[in-house]
Amino acid sequence: VSGPRSWIARRLLLGAAQTAAVVLLVFVLTEALPGDAAVALAGDQPDPERIAAIREAMDLDRPAHERLVDWAAGLPHGDFGTSLASGRPVSTYLTDGFGPTLLLAALTVALLVPIGVGLGVLAARHEGGPVDRLVSAVTLGVYAVPEFAFGVLLVTVFALRLGWLPPTAVGYGTDLLAHPAALVLPVLVLLSRPVCSLARLVRAGMIDALASPYAAHARRYGVPGARIRYGHALPNAMAPATQQLARTIDWLLCGVIVVEALYVIPGLGTVLINAVAERDVPVVQGLAVVFGVTTVVLNLGADLVARRLAPRSEAAA
Amino acid sequence: VRSRFALGAFVIGVPLALALLGPLLAGEPGPRAPSFTLGGGHWLGTDFVGRDVWRQVLLGGRSVVLVALAATALAYLVAFPVGLLSALTRRAWLEELLMRPLDVLLAVPSLLMILLVAAVFTPGAVGLTLLVALVNIPDAARLVRAAAAEAASRPAVEALRMQGETWWRTAVGYVGRSLTRTLAADAGVRLTGVLYLVATAAFLGVGVEPDAADWAVMVDRNRTGLFVQPWAVVVPALLIVALTMGANLLVDAGLKTGLKTGPKKGKRT
Repeated sequence: VSGPRSWIARRLLLGAAQTAAVVLLVFVLTEALPGDAAVALAGDQPDPERIAAIREAMDLDRPAHERLVDWAAGLPHGDFGTSLASGRPVSTYLTDGFGPTLLLAALTVALLVPIGVGLGVLAARHEGGPVDRLVSAVTLGVYAVPEFAFGVLLVTVFALRLGWLPPTAVGYGTDLLAHPAALVLPVLVLLSRPVCSLARLVRAGMIDALASPYAAHARRYGVPGARIRYGHALPNAMAPATQQLARTIDWLLCGVIVVEALYVIPGLGTVLINAVAERDVPVVQGLAVVFGVTTVVLNLGADLVARRLAPRSEAAA
Repeated sequence: VRSRFALGAFVIGVPLALALLGPLLAGEPGPRAPSFTLGGGHWLGTDFVGRDVWRQVLLGGRSVVLVALAATALAYLVAFPVGLLSALTRRAWLEELLMRPLDVLLAVPSLLMILLVAAVFTPGAVGLTLLVALVNIPDAARLVRAAAAEAASRPAVEALRMQGETWWRTAVGYVGRSLTRTLAADAGVRLTGVLYLVATAAFLGVGVEPDAADWAVMVDRNRTGLFVQPWAVVVPALLIVALTMGANLLVDAGLKTGLKTGPKKGKRT
């Protein structure tokens, strides 16, 4: 439609708008309470002292738009406000939980791409055969299963029946890398859905690409099969997969929250769930901004990579 | 393909039957027994507050299935008119007004949105239905818009317009009806996603009472007794796995037959 430069400019603009919208949405959803917000947040302990403390801590006497501007202005400097429950700065919650979550996410992504692409290519090479049918059936079946149900069954088998792995990460603190056994089940569960989705997309893309005229042409010229598969077909097969990465990122973020709750890992997801349970609005806001902006940035990156792999395809924007 | 249908129907059969018929068979609650025991007249033992696990299993599927169905229906109820209108309108500002906010909403992870609202309100089953529907609207509306825009560019629509047919007949009677196949394909895929989201939210304690008879809540609350009384966790977890897996297998088999016999493809983009 238009040149690559204006496409990138439009996509960056959308990303900026999405970032602003995430910040605005987080604020509106958590502070646009009907009636007196302090009373609503005090919840189970509606004594006047606590209500006054909440009003004081959140500056509820000032108009909402002034609070929004102050809060949003603090975000780029890492000033997320202070917790209602403990009075500590929200940024300390973020730094405490950051390590375990980053470790989980990095391990998962590092394993996701080789396993997902490998399974997809393997199935596509044996299209219609027993290997393909097995891979297709398993990826289709596991794809929609919630992590918590799958994870709890894995715990029952591998921790309870066989005793091979610890059931949770309780007692290991935040230094999980020193206890790799405690990481096996969480990473396995976190991988389950994204691997299936990626493998299915790569399989479909590879089958299309290998049946295409350019692959047939390369074969006629005697180009070796491996080079056709990995040099020519795979980049084309990866383009639709990269575009679907947006959904995979969404799943990974949801998955991290569930897996941390299930295996009692002291990461950002656990901090978020605890803050939700305690109605600690500043902490929830800070975490939501971090999760939301991460999603926006990763989506932007995925779209740019997809565009690079297959410039003809119309990526979202 | 027929064997896939059979497999899907077989896998989903048990949890679906339990979810729909279970509450009729459950009967009156018996007296409370000690927590996490086996035997003593309890076929699957007792749960974290000493209730009969089998009775909880019978009662616990209905909420997941009903919330998921209602949320999917509600998402389309909003997404269909929004998508159709933005595809057929000739006013560019209206299209921007309808679709741009959805593009932005699409960027927020679905579970995060649900947790954000849960931090301030305490949504019940109805609240959870509305929330899950809300997070599904952007994607569904985009799909409707894309499919409707394709249908609206066909010569038949031009002909209807030249004949002087009303906007309503063109939009709903022709374009709307031509979307049926695409929407049916998408509804199946969306339902499996919604089932996942509803179960996961319930596991995290959103939209349910802490002691609710709900499979996801049972998995969460009975985890403390996993080493003493695994049935209270394993049975509901297996039922959720079978429900979601079976739904996905059925939808996939349905899509494949739909694509083979259908005159045109209902392809997702």
